[in-house]
Parts: sequence; structure tokens; C-alpha cells
Amino acid sequence: MKYGYDVIVVGAGFGGPVAAKKCADAGLRTLMIERSENVGEKVISGLTIPIYGFLFGPAFIRDGNPPIERPVDGIINYIIKDVEKGDIEIDDSLMIPKPFSPIYAFGYNAYCQPFCEWEARKAVESGAELRTSTVVTDVIMEAGSVKGVITETGEKIRSRIVIDAEGSQGLVAVKAGIRRRYPPETISLADVYDYKMPKDLLDEIFGFSIRFCWGWDEQRCAPPLGYGNGLMVWPYRDSIHYVHDQCLRTNASSVPNLRKMLAEYHDNITSKLPWWKENVAPHAELRGHMWENFEIYVGLNQELRSMPNHTDGMILVGDVAGLESTELCDGVPQAWISADIGADVAIEALKANDTSRSFLSRYDERIKAHPILQWSISGKNRFNLRYAQKEHDLKKLKKLVHSGWGLGAITHLSTPLMRMLCRHIIVEPSILMKWSKMFCRYYFNWHHGRFDDSESLTHLGKGREGQEDDARLRTWFRPGQLFTTMVILLVWILAILIYPLTGMLNPSMKILLPVIEPIYTGLIRMSAPWAGRLSRRRVNRVANRDPSLFEV
Amino acid sequence: MSITEKTLRFSKKFPGVEWIDGTGNFITVDTPKCKGCGNCVKVCLADCYEITEGKARIKNLDLCMECGSCWYVCAEEAIVFTWPKGGTGFRTKWG
Repeated sequence: MKYGYDVIVVGAGFGGPVAAKKCADAGLRTLMIERSENVGEKVISGLTIPIYGFLFGPAFIRDGNPPIERPVDGIINYIIKDVEKGDIEIDDSLMIPKPFSPIYAFGYNAYCQPFCEWEARKAVESGAELRTSTVVTDVIMEAGSVKGVITETGEKIRSRIVIDAEGSQGLVAVKAGIRRRYPPETISLADVYDYKMPKDLLDEIFGFSIRFCWGWDEQRCAPPLGYGNGLMVWPYRDSIHYVHDQCLRTNASSVPNLRKMLAEYHDNITSKLPWWKENVAPHAELRGHMWENFEIYVGLNQELRSMPNHTDGMILVGDVAGLESTELCDGVPQAWISADIGADVAIEALKANDTSRSFLSRYDERIKAHPILQWSISGKNRFNLRYAQKEHDLKKLKKLVHSGWGLGAITHLSTPLMRMLCRHIIVEPSILMKWSKMFCRYYFNWHHGRFDDSESLTHLGKGREGQEDDARLRTWFRPGQLFTTMVILLVWILAILIYPLTGMLNPSMKILLPVIEPIYTGLIRMSAPWAGRLSRRRVNRVANRDPSLFEV
Repeated sequence: MSITEKTLRFSKKFPGVEWIDGTGNFITVDTPKCKGCGNCVKVCLADCYEITEGKARIKNLDLCMECGSCWYVCAEEAIVFTWPKGGTGFRTKWG
């Protein structure tokens, strides 16, 4: 049997290049196929990529210089009770306190196109082949096994294994009979606007916080709720990204008039919401309007969730495997992590010369055993908002918002997050240095607009102050340095001790939240002036370093 | 590989997006199956659909952003949804 390639990756979005790069790095002949002319130009999202994607995702992203638009250090939730009267409550409890932020972040905002392009370039540099302007329409099926892909022109390209990273519609997987079309109530249509706005104003008005709005249906405003959807606004470097979304079907029989509704809500939000009207509208200029669907509630449906994510000769990663987060509506970390795992399994399968379904089932096992993946596709706070809406129960609404995107998140996020942190530290203690450098490097890069493809590197390192600080940091980052080694050793021992107890974290946080919350908010308030100064100092220090310090 | 001249289209309605011509009829309605419920009309933000004589009909796909909403909501599975020809259709830098 002759194969053109060892691996074919369908799609060069966020997930595809991760899988392609890993396979190419392993010496496999890898082809990545993308339907758009330039990578990333059909990828749409409103995008904070949560930190767990960077911490637990592919090493080349963690250790690289991807193009990001702004770090995120908190969420401000606006609970809109009456938009006309400006009766709005705020829950801004989920914040990384200063002095840690904005160097340390919850995630990073990004435009999809440059980010995907950066990833794809990395895959190509590793030896993967990239073919654009090519639509994969089907797979080559022989004796019940996938043996390659068929393109729109009828061309057959053979490979020993196919990694499908085509996105949420999953047309190839549906055509191949591996998965079914999702029911519309699990799909949300994200209506995305992009506004240009001066950076200094964004720094002043938004800082590093993203804003979510939640409310009642009759407000005809943020958000088109009732069905667990919302409005999210992200500050980018010198623009604002605005997304509101709504499920395509709200109950068994009713498809809302989204064209009318989303337009009306957007008009209302931008003309009535006080902070938009006063702080944003006078300075913002509409630059883009687009939309895309994502499979938000697939994870909550047991039947859909158990649809196959692999078959003989084929592995499905990212959105096509239904890995969209049910609460944060993010799919990028899940795409990265699943693509990383998928590539590992593909490499193992080719080494063992066994691409059968039973061999590839280890992919499914690893996906199901991944605490962060499972947590992200099973959160119910967003879904349950509909009940608060139906009952017009403000207390319930506030509780759900707090639990989903306020400090209450620690009651469900602590266990998976700590479990993954411990696992990584136990396996590779020096990852602490990599994480530490990542936060500094990402901030540095953002601050200076310095990414792999940017040209503004030259001014750095010339006439800088603080060479002493450089030396101090260089010592800290140096492997084998006594103090650093002691810290790493200590954290490693801690991780081993904590790991068996991580299962207790969520339940304990549930009990402790009422105690932790006032202490936490009190401390933040008390320390604000001091922490603010320290944060500014820390930012200056990081921004003035020699960037080679943060390289891995 | 043949190099053909690209024709780009823009729309005031949806700034920041351009469309490359040559998509082909990548979405079609299987008319006998259609019951004229109008779901596709309601969810299409690009206003591609209309109902005439009790059946859905594609007016044009000029502003289609390939989201698949029409395909998802068609209970009769009368809408055949595929991707436009490679390298054509919408594109944006601001997604």
C-alpha cells in the first residue's frame, strides 16, 4: 500500500497546526489542508484564550512569541436589571489581585487570523506541508478504515492516519458517518463586532478586564438571555471586540428571529448601556462585523458527548470533537490540548503500525481523563441562567453569574486546575521556570508589540536602565542555581503532597467560599494603594528587561 | 495550478469582511423536502433566504459567512450545506 503522507491534518485553525507541528517534529510526513486562501482568515471568535491553554497546552506556544492583543486579569460582570434607568449591579470579584497582575494573567486576548497563521508557520517550519485553498469533502474509506482524504476536485490524497481539526460544523466527520449534525439548541450563533479605539483610552477605561453583561429578556438588551447566552466585551490592544450570542433553537419548536433580534439588541446595547454610551461610543469606530457558530451545549448532552472522537485511521480534535467550553464559550485551549494528545496518539499508532479504532481509543481515554477538558465541557452555570430568567429570580441570576464568572468559580475550577498544575510540576519540576518566563515574556511582548513576526525588536537592549536587575533575574532563571533549585524542589514536594488531596478542593471551597470571599475582597481593598504601586514597578521592571532573559 | 484573477466584493453592511468570488452554489435547497417553515430566513444574518410559494429559496449567497445556521435549523434536512470552493468566500482579519 502506498501512502503519500503519514499524517493528513484537516484544517489550519487553532488545533490543526498544533497536531501538524507535533507530527512533523516526530519525523512524520505531514500535510495540513486548509480551505481558506490564507490561514486563519475564516476563523472568527471573541477571544480570550484562558490561561490553562497556555499552561497545559503545546510547549511551542507556551515557550514562543505568539501575537496577542492584551493580557486579561479579571472579569467584570454587569447584571442589568433595568437598562433605561441605569439600574445595574456589578460583580467584579474574579480578579488577579495587584501586584501580580497584569504580568500574571487569566488569559490573553487575540485576533484569530494572526494567531492561527503564527501557529501554522511554526508547523511549516517543523517540516509540515501546508496546502491552502483546498476543501476536503470526504475521507477515503477502505475496508472500514480511513486511508486519506478526498478534496473538492475529486483528488485522493492518501495517508496512514487522518487528524480532523475542521471545526464545529464537522462536515467531513458527518459525511464520513462518524458524527451527526448537532441539534440547533446546542449551537450558538456568535454575532461579533470589532471597534477601533485608541489604546490609551482602553488602558484607562478597561485596563486588563473583560466585561460580561447579563440581564432580562424584556430589556431587549444585553444579553439575549433566557437561554443561557450573554454579551461579552474584550479590550484588545487598540480595539474592542464585542460578541453577543444566542442559541439557534431555544426549545423543541421555536427558532428565534436572530437576524432581527441580534440587530435590535446591538442597537440597544450601544445606545443605552451607560458605560458603552458614555465611555466607549464617543471614541469607538466600527471596523468589523462578522459571525460564526459554535457548539456551546454539546458537552451537556450525554448522547452527543458520547459520539465517537476517533475511528479506524482517524482522530477528531477540537471543535469537531465537541470540545467547546459550555461556560466560557472558549474552544482554543481544548483544541490545543486535544490536538496535542491526538498527535501523541497518532505518533504512537504509526510507530506500532496500528491505526485501528481499538488502538486509537487511547485518545478518547486521555481526553476523558483530562481534568481541564472535562471541566470545561461540563459547566452548567451558563446553561442554568435560563431558569433564573424564566423565574425572574434575581438572586438566582446573581448566584449563577458569581459561580460562573465571579469568585464562585473556585468552587468548580480549583480541583481540575490544581490537579493539572501538580501533574505538570511532578513530571517536570523545571516547568515552573518555563511558566514564570512565559508570563514575563508574554507581558513584555505585549508591552512592546514584539512578536515573532514583528520588526520592533531593535530598540530593545539599547540605553536601557537596570542592568543590575537583569543580572539578578538572570541568576534567578539560571538552571542549577541554588536558590532556584531549592524553590523548585520545595514546590515539587508540595505538588506531590497536595496531589492526592486535590479532589477535596472543590468541596472545601464550597464550604469555605463564604469565609474566603470577605477576607479576599477586604485584603484587596486594603492593599490596593500599595499593591498598585508595586504592580507598576513590576511592570516597569519586566518591560525594561533584556528579552533574552525570558527565552526558554 | 491555474492563476485566475480574483474578484473581491465588500459590503457597507458588514465592514471588515471581504468576499472572494467563485464560490459556486455551495448551499442548496432540496425543494421537495422543504416545508417552508422559514427557520432559515430567521437565522440567516446575511439575509440569503426568502420564502416564495411556501418554499425556501436562496436569493443569493453574496454576504454568506459560511456559519451553517441555516443547515443546523432545517428540521427537514432540506438544506445541503458545503464549503465554498477553496480560497473563495468570505474572509476577515478581525475575527
